[in-house]
Amino acid sequence: MERDGLGALTVEEVAREAGVARATVYRTFPGGRDEVVGAAVAHAVAGFFADLRRDIGDAPDLATLLERGLVAARRRLESHAALQRALQEEAGQIVPRLATVMPLVIDGVRAELTSRLARERLRPGVVPDQAADLLARLFLSLIGSPGSWDLDDPDAARRLVRGQLLAGVVELDPPG
Amino acid sequence: MHSVSGVTQATVIHDRLEVGEGAGAGPVAPVGAWAAEYLAAGDAERRLVEAALRCFARWGIRKTSVDDIAREAGVSRATVYRVVPGGKDRLVQVVLCHEAGRLFHTMDAELSAAETLEDLLVTGIRGLLLVADGHDVLRTLIRDEPELVLPHFAFHQLDRIFDLADTLARPHLSRFLPPEDVRPAAELLARVVLTYAFRPTPWVDPHDPDSVRRLVRTYLVPALTSPSVSEPSLSDRTTDPAQEST
Repeated sequence: MERDGLGALTVEEVAREAGVARATVYRTFPGGRDEVVGAAVAHAVAGFFADLRRDIGDAPDLATLLERGLVAARRRLESHAALQRALQEEAGQIVPRLATVMPLVIDGVRAELTSRLARERLRPGVVPDQAADLLARLFLSLIGSPGSWDLDDPDAARRLVRGQLLAGVVELDPPG
Repeated sequence: MHSVSGVTQATVIHDRLEVGEGAGAGPVAPVGAWAAEYLAAGDAERRLVEAALRCFARWGIRKTSVDDIAREAGVSRATVYRVVPGGKDRLVQVVLCHEAGRLFHTMDAELSAAETLEDLLVTGIRGLLLVADGHDVLRTLIRDEPELVLPHFAFHQLDRIFDLADTLARPHLSRFLPPEDVRPAAELLARVVLTYAFRPTPWVDPHDPDSVRRLVRTYLVPALTSPSVSEPSLSDRTTDPAQEST
């Protein structure tokens, strides 16, 4: 997929690349081409977030985790050759695939944030599950589409996190 | 440059929305013109758009032909080409213009009636989630032709949706927020609406106004009025517009 894109992928090529028989591919993925592509995309997404977790897992608090997470994820995304190529040339193929695995990604980020929220001073009325759900969705939205935020700039990421993301969720120490 | 003819306008939006081929290179579309385009459309165009929407709902975009749309509207093929020159691709963009314009038009009056930021956000978010929930054509297209629809709502293409959100929300948000906070606020609200429209959750249910109000009051109003939203140099300003000295 990295070399030839999603559209041109065939089971024969996958088998040749992996050094196995075509029948082996179908035994592992009975759904054929469609299932192979789905599994490969899911695998790439899981790898992306595993790497991201290694980048930022040692962040001391939620605000730092999100700030570093946005900057690191954006950098990883922009330098992700296979994804950038797919978005350029076959967005109609890759975007629905990513949309399919998105619920699992949201679940994963939400679980991580829920455990982080347990160690924070929450603002009155905040329900941890709801806050984690909203933050996970916004975090993922910002990674894919930063809009007018320049996430190469740690100061911008800091303003974004302490404002739009966390102002309603946790009691933050005054800046400075 | 905003006063281009309807056809040119549609071409600009076509390029911007990258419907079909020939995408990308057009000048920046004045998104606010979508509403004007919708309001200025003649009856014949409106009938065609409604017919096209019904066809898309039934058969999807790919399988709908100009003949189908003509038959559905009860006019000849020649009439379709006279009213909307350019065939099906052009019709798809005209339909998109009309739907965005309709959204603007119906939401605008409701939003103008809101007297607090909280009420404004509840009305806007709830209204848009209800539109998404009840929009049969959109739901059908997302299900059956995700490859044509979903790319418009992801990655850099979301910038167009942000432009639309900014245009829709700016006059209303400006009543409660300083000008420099409006764009980031509109983007945040667009993210919230899109995520809960595409992936609904029981805790944000547009059919339960109280749930939307809890989301707005607890999380979104503080997020939009927090001093750190703006540049650090502005961080000492008050968030109460009544006391805003600038």
